[in-house]
Amino acid sequence: MRPVSVATLPFVGAGLLAVSSANGRDLDIPFTKTTLADGMVAILSVDHAVPQVAVNISYDVGSRMEPAGRTGFAHLFEHLMFMGTRRAPIGSFDGWMEAAGGRNNAWTAEDRTDYFDIAPAAALPLLLWLEADRMRDLGPLIDQDKLGLQRDVVRNERRQSIENRPYGVEELELPKLLWPEGHPYHHPVIGSHEDLEAAGVGDVRQFFATWYDPSNASLVIVGDFDPEKIRPTLDTWFGSMPSHGKPADPGAPGFSDEKTTLRGVVRATISDNVELTKVTLAWQSPKHFAPGDAELDLVASVLAHGKESRLYKALVYDQKIAQEVSAQQESHVLGSDFVVDALVRPGVDPSKVEKALFDQVAKLREQEVSNEEIERARNGYEMEFVDRLQVVAERASLLNMYQAERGDPGFVQRDLDRYRHATAGEMLSYAKRVLTPDAVVVLTTVPRKEGGAR
Amino acid sequence: MTHTFRPALMSLGMSLVACGAQTPAAPAPLLATPAASASAPVSPAPDPLGSKPPTPPSPPFLPPSPTVDLAPGGITVWLLERHEVPIVSCDMTVPTGASSDPKGKAGLAHATARMLEEGAGARGAIDLARATDDLGAHLATDANADASFVSVTVLKRNLDRAFSIFADVVARPRFERAEYKRMADLWFNELLERQKDPDATARVVYRVALFGPDHPYGHPWDGTLKSAKAMTLEDVRRFYAAAWRPDRAVLICAGDVTKTELMPLVETSFSSWKAPAAPPSAPLVPPPPKGPWPRLVLVDRPDAPQSVVAALKPGLVASDPAGAALWRVNDAIGGSFTSRLNQDLRERRGYTYGARSRFSVSRGAGQVVSWANVVTDKTGDALDAMLGDLQKFADEGLSDDEVDRTRSQARGELVSVYESVEGIAGHLAADASLGLPPDWQAKVSARREAAQKGELDALAKQFYSPDGAIVVVVGPRARVQPMLDKLKMPTPEIRDSEGNVVK
Repeated sequence: MRPVSVATLPFVGAGLLAVSSANGRDLDIPFTKTTLADGMVAILSVDHAVPQVAVNISYDVGSRMEPAGRTGFAHLFEHLMFMGTRRAPIGSFDGWMEAAGGRNNAWTAEDRTDYFDIAPAAALPLLLWLEADRMRDLGPLIDQDKLGLQRDVVRNERRQSIENRPYGVEELELPKLLWPEGHPYHHPVIGSHEDLEAAGVGDVRQFFATWYDPSNASLVIVGDFDPEKIRPTLDTWFGSMPSHGKPADPGAPGFSDEKTTLRGVVRATISDNVELTKVTLAWQSPKHFAPGDAELDLVASVLAHGKESRLYKALVYDQKIAQEVSAQQESHVLGSDFVVDALVRPGVDPSKVEKALFDQVAKLREQEVSNEEIERARNGYEMEFVDRLQVVAERASLLNMYQAERGDPGFVQRDLDRYRHATAGEMLSYAKRVLTPDAVVVLTTVPRKEGGAR
Repeated sequence: MTHTFRPALMSLGMSLVACGAQTPAAPAPLLATPAASASAPVSPAPDPLGSKPPTPPSPPFLPPSPTVDLAPGGITVWLLERHEVPIVSCDMTVPTGASSDPKGKAGLAHATARMLEEGAGARGAIDLARATDDLGAHLATDANADASFVSVTVLKRNLDRAFSIFADVVARPRFERAEYKRMADLWFNELLERQKDPDATARVVYRVALFGPDHPYGHPWDGTLKSAKAMTLEDVRRFYAAAWRPDRAVLICAGDVTKTELMPLVETSFSSWKAPAAPPSAPLVPPPPKGPWPRLVLVDRPDAPQSVVAALKPGLVASDPAGAALWRVNDAIGGSFTSRLNQDLRERRGYTYGARSRFSVSRGAGQVVSWANVVTDKTGDALDAMLGDLQKFADEGLSDDEVDRTRSQARGELVSVYESVEGIAGHLAADASLGLPPDWQAKVSARREAAQKGELDALAKQFYSPDGAIVVVVGPRARVQPMLDKLKMPTPEIRDSEGNVVK
């Protein structure tokens, strides 16, 4: 490869991310959206100042669509998407992309599976061709060898990122405790070794045919490209695939997304190879973008963002009974997890920390948070929005999240507005409704005794 | 808690990237002809995708260099303006870090950095955190081998107020006794927790095993259980006074701020920060590590479902421009998804979620490590495969494909660094902290692009050959030892999770 010219400085193109000077706050990511002939959505966002492109393809399938006895399969399937086709034999997806100066990755969650590629602008046709190729053909080409290999890799991923990592085991237990049997969030995304072992080639073909349909996918391109030139390519490569129509979202039949299924305080204790005891409280909370979701994000910030936050100040700074604290509204499509936790300092009774956590949560149900606290939490969120949008791959990811969950890639302004318009009254009302003392999981992780079985 | 990523290869500090199996690109049209709708001929329908599209070479990327100024108090100011997004990121750095930790006081640079934000100027620890969060700003302090840092990132409209807090943290830390005691308790507990993390344990052991406990780089930056207990607030005050002086400091800013906006801000905020009369101390340049090195180090982690297996060697000093080419060599062997180690241990054998290599540079010496977290049953097989891959790489050097591919890959990685103001400021601050010039990135990029096979092969041999490498295994000794014996490895030197030899 011979250098042809020296690129100018890359950065976000002026006007691409507009932050109006009038109030200094408005966000905008210009885009166009079309639906191709086979039902696939294509979202294009041009930014000529960056000599690179990001491609993001989101499929509306996650661990909640897994059939019984196949936990972890959606994520295992994600790994198989890199295992080669007739046009791009095994190894070439990564090989060709990296040779062109690009890179890629993917993730699987409860609700979605997301694949992304980042490369120099000139490699865009290659990225699109590789993505179209595997979307079109991959499923039937997976054989036992490819399946067996990636199963080994995924089982090692489970060992590395959960089993051999401090406090990892909790991630396997919490979903089971928080969501009832039969609910699609009852099992962790990574799945069980047993179910991963049980998966067969037939499962792969069925899953591909059902969920990797073009009508179940959304493509985003962000960066330095000419949309007029790329449109016909999209029609030819992506718009002409066979489609069985968009599969129905199975949802969570029989479960309300507004009322918790917890009937009391659910207690459990697990042991792990850790130094300090950890106490975790978890509630079922409003689903992503539902009323109360943003309010509870702000509540979580008030609880545990920064040294001045309520939990940190009380448990870590003043009382010195906790080592660390955290609070999150973990938002999902069918319902969310509101999780509060603390690491217990050596020599401290964990029940004392548990009580302190509950006391702080109780205060949120009793009295409105101060305007100062709300403003601080909002400013934190606003900074996160702006910060994230600097990076083309992040913009691509965000456009597809809004498309998948709101049907509107241009939702960023309204998303930010949720935080801007939240009030102390609403935060109080959702804390009362959601963070109840009588419908909560209390999970305690204690240090494993030396030599003892887990 | 929900997202699981495929390759474990996202960001590895300064080294990353890749290479694959390039096939000659067929001259295919970008747009294939759509299938005809009616009366198709007898031949099969044309493939709507056609053949693989060509990928024209991407232009080389020349990293921008910051402007340089000297503020009245003696602070050197590097500025790289970026006005597209209303964010500014600034780092202040001084060239003293963990290598200056006194004997028995491992972690003093770390403790000092932490204490900077535990109260400064007119604000105590809580007020300072509150004032920062009121602005939505990110404030952080850190120390590495050779330097200490304070950084802030904030929306432009809040820059003045955030910069004033930033200046307090740099120039007016309070170092109160109660806050020190509180920080030290938290720190000690973190060190207890570190012992339970296999990756953190491995990183500690690399450092101690490679440099030895008497070398300035031979201890973990965040200290040890014993040294943390031995530390006092007076140690912190002394360290700060020697390290943090305006005539030793470089301020690096990137983002939506102009020189005419920034310089008055620096002058106002730092007007009272004066260098003492005594001349500043020169940055410490530790010698290269000498050995003798153990061949095999084993840290027992009973019942662990995986072992960390690693091969460790001395590396390059930061000022050696060969580091630019070493980036590409590292990409080929373990710095990218398609690297040899990852392709073999993960994609061919399934022993691991990811195998990688990384080189780090510092002022006096560097470190090169290749590693993987492998299923316990395959600890011996995985180590054998890893050492074999390294041997072959050292013997044969890079393939022609690897020579080409790593050039594109390193370029792509570097472009991404310059996408965010935090990335730019952090990258430049690393250079400034090591005494490298403001145009270092531009200079070495040209060299990285230009490096040819001969130079790359020599680096592969010198830095990745398993000859003389220290092999480190963190895993369950009872199960792993018989596997290592089968490989004809020497008797392992047993070390604890802080890297001390267990007699």
